Amino acid sequence: MNRRQILTGVSLSLALFLTLPAAGQTPEELRDDVLALTGPGTEGRAVGTPGAATARRYLISELEAAGARPLPGQDGLGIPFRFISGVEDRGSSLRAGGHKRFGSDQVKAFAFSETGEVRGELYFAGYGIRVPESAGVRYDSYAGHEVRDKVVVVLRYFPDDVEDETRSVLNRHADFRSKASAARDQGAAGMVMITGPGSEGAGELAPDGFDISAPGSQGILAVSIDGAAGDRLFAGTGVSLAEVQRSLDSGEVDAGSFPLPGFATLAVDLERTPTSGANVVGILPAVDGSLDPPYVAVGAHYDHLGMGGSGSLNPHAPPAVHPGADDNASGTAAVLALARTVADAPLTRPLLVGFWSGEESGLLGSRAFIRDEIRPDQLAAYINLDMVGRLEDNRLTVQAMGSSSVWPGIVERANVPGGFDLALSDDPYVPTDSSAFNSESVPTLSLFTGTHPDYHRPSDTADKLNYEGLARIARFTGLVARRVAESDPVPEFVRVERAPETATSRVSLRAYTGTIPEYATEIEGLLLGGVMAGGPAEEAGLQKGDVIVEFAGTPVLNIYDYMNALEAARIGEPLTVVFLRDGERHEVTLVPAARP
Amino acid sequence: MFQSLRRVSGRLVFVLPIALGGGLVSPVFAQQAADDESRFLSRIRRLTVEGRRAGEGYFSPDGREMVFQSEREPGNPFFQIYLLSMETGDVRRVSPGHGKTTCAFISAKNGDILFASTHLDPRSLDLQRDEIEFRASGQERRYEWDYDSHMDVFVERRSDGELVRLTDAQGYDAEGSWSPDGEWIVFTSMRGMFEDELSERETRLAEIDPSYFGEIWTMRADGSEQRRLTHVPGYDGGPFYFPDGSRIIWRRFSEDGLVADVWSMNPDGSDQRQLTDFRAMSWAPYVHPSLEYVLFASNKLGFSNFEVYMVDVAGEKEPVRITTTDGFDGLPVPTPDGAGLSWTSTRHGGEGGQIYLADWDHDAALAALRSAPSRSRLTETPQ
Repeated sequence: MNRRQILTGVSLSLALFLTLPAAGQTPEELRDDVLALTGPGTEGRAVGTPGAATARRYLISELEAAGARPLPGQDGLGIPFRFISGVEDRGSSLRAGGHKRFGSDQVKAFAFSETGEVRGELYFAGYGIRVPESAGVRYDSYAGHEVRDKVVVVLRYFPDDVEDETRSVLNRHADFRSKASAARDQGAAGMVMITGPGSEGAGELAPDGFDISAPGSQGILAVSIDGAAGDRLFAGTGVSLAEVQRSLDSGEVDAGSFPLPGFATLAVDLERTPTSGANVVGILPAVDGSLDPPYVAVGAHYDHLGMGGSGSLNPHAPPAVHPGADDNASGTAAVLALARTVADAPLTRPLLVGFWSGEESGLLGSRAFIRDEIRPDQLAAYINLDMVGRLEDNRLTVQAMGSSSVWPGIVERANVPGGFDLALSDDPYVPTDSSAFNSESVPTLSLFTGTHPDYHRPSDTADKLNYEGLARIARFTGLVARRVAESDPVPEFVRVERAPETATSRVSLRAYTGTIPEYATEIEGLLLGGVMAGGPAEEAGLQKGDVIVEFAGTPVLNIYDYMNALEAARIGEPLTVVFLRDGERHEVTLVPAARP
Repeated sequence: MFQSLRRVSGRLVFVLPIALGGGLVSPVFAQQAADDESRFLSRIRRLTVEGRRAGEGYFSPDGREMVFQSEREPGNPFFQIYLLSMETGDVRRVSPGHGKTTCAFISAKNGDILFASTHLDPRSLDLQRDEIEFRASGQERRYEWDYDSHMDVFVERRSDGELVRLTDAQGYDAEGSWSPDGEWIVFTSMRGMFEDELSERETRLAEIDPSYFGEIWTMRADGSEQRRLTHVPGYDGGPFYFPDGSRIIWRRFSEDGLVADVWSMNPDGSDQRQLTDFRAMSWAPYVHPSLEYVLFASNKLGFSNFEVYMVDVAGEKEPVRITTTDGFDGLPVPTPDGAGLSWTSTRHGGEGGQIYLADWDHDAALAALRSAPSRSRLTETPQ
């Protein structure tokens, strides 16, 4: 160990306590685990692949060696779950009025569409956006229009020439799924989307989103059609789609909702590919040997992006192994280390250790587990480790502190020996597995050492981890788990209100700035955890540690303000960023780019 | 804009009508900002999390415990006193749980814990409720420290857990600390407000600013032989013995309460010497165990921008700035072995301060003090 033992006379015992390596928690052992999880045969550990199975076998054998037992009712430590790994459009079509039938070269089903055939009158519904009243902006493409049992035709995106504030609200309700939901809620039989002649990528079919594997359809038949097919639908109306879009873009909501001539038959034939993934779940008995709930649960997702794919930030590069050493071999190794320690020194409640798969595809494994395999009240609390291998400046982020009243006291006590410079956040709605537990009213805590330029890239490699820091985080997590085990009664769950209007669809973010926000901070403004190499932010001169306080004229007090402000950004249009560096205010011009 | 700021971090309290703009930045800032705190402080860690705010953390002589104050008692919006095990992180409340408390200190002789409390005031629970209602109303004082005249010094005897009252004078008695041998206590008292004959002006002051009457006192560990050491108008407070017991360090406000400086004197009150003269609020001094220098806090860089500084123990050189992070940094306390520094900070961005601890580079501190320029003015005034 290279930690300086500075607290000489003060407490020799304190120094010993802090540095005494518990079994399975030395930096070297953690490195061995990370190397095994990112090593030959693991191929990026994408859910449902042989690479993930290789990693899973390692985890099962290590957990068994530590003495973990299957969750009561399970045959073994591996617990499979089903998910949709792909969706194939086997031939969707649209026949409208007297026109010819548009086939699969011009019609493409959305992955979230229902399969089947519907018939109904065609009705153009503008941009197909309904903004809830609470959003503070009035915009309803359906107001005053009856579309029940009709096939609605809508434009992709949202009106361009509106004020920035309106723009960001509209954008939030303009993603494909939101439009499909709006149409469904109006009673429409189907939705047909066109990329308008005035929009970016005019006439193109809508691309696949990142959510192909997300469970469930949107409850409506939904397709996109190309521009030629779109123009044909407007034939005979006396106006062109281009004219209609121009009026809509100038802000006239009503300019563009009207019946189209003819009757449509919309057919969608989607085949979803069911695949099997598996979590690894083991129970370490309590000090009295008990295996009975409630359990203290600690977990990490062990899957990553495999060879890349839509989750990669290198999407256009040739497929390459994304090792995911930080994301999330780091958390997996730390949880494994913790399990070994608890096997040697059990807690007063049994410990449930969970290694989830499919996190990168939408929390598939953790959601399946809490839905199908356990009752939420059997969990005293859930502690999540995701991306904990890059400890820098001794700064550990702890999120979801608001999910139970016990956390401030427990985290304080664990951090006295833990010794981190903590960045705390109450928000439990974090983009990792702990959200799945929060939704089921389980108190959660999520540990994180911050994003970095290697995030979701092939360069997230094992040699870049801070193993000494990782060992300390494993020990800290153990101290938290120990105090949760000793909490009697079990920690109460506190439902944190979700900040309004934050359910941003990242798919719809069109402009790219290359900023890496620091998510957990109470600082006023947006603290940059880094900037993407070669991205617009770096070009503008922004750097890690800068605090953005104003973006494109909008004050930025927190990450949500920033996300909103970001939506108002347009590709190629310079905007002003005001930020604090070393306490001084600076101003730069940033030119958003298209997402690389 | 004129603003009245009331703020306490325990051993300092001030009330100031003073004109200050938000953009007040000393020209010194740019030059000093280059000297990052990392040259003295490393492995910064946060010690307290629970509750609205915490501060005034002082170590036991073996460094295994820290006593501190925190607003974390359910139903009580005021500080209570807690004892933290630096080994396990276990925390227990020392003070009674109701009323206001402040400024605890652990005896080197027997571990007895000294603190000030108002819990014997029959109005304690009403005052707690009033404060909770006031805060719920959405208003918030910057901080109201009212020098409650029911504040008295108490000791928790570690041998039997009994709480022993040491002062009973009318007027605020608080801000106490032990001598290194555990035989004496130095503290702040405002009893002069009730006991002395007041001029007409002082009678008016007593109503608006009791701190004007703050003076340094000493007493034996059992509360006997209470004796006043300072007699200068203006708030004298926050006293501590030097680690070898040879002198007392404290902070003295000017009569108008606008300026505070760090002073030292003999334990009998003689030989009072001024160590700083920033023409700002320099306060919360604490002597490093090496006896080479004094750590303190000052707002030299701007009214609401407190940072930790250090100055050589004789006050012959210009003080050296320690902390450089945004937010309040003050109440510095070295660990007993001198290899660590604890202080109170809002660097996490929240409203209330919390206690931090870092490794302290004593050699770098000595080097920085050696190269500091000589102090231009050195004042010595008779007591």
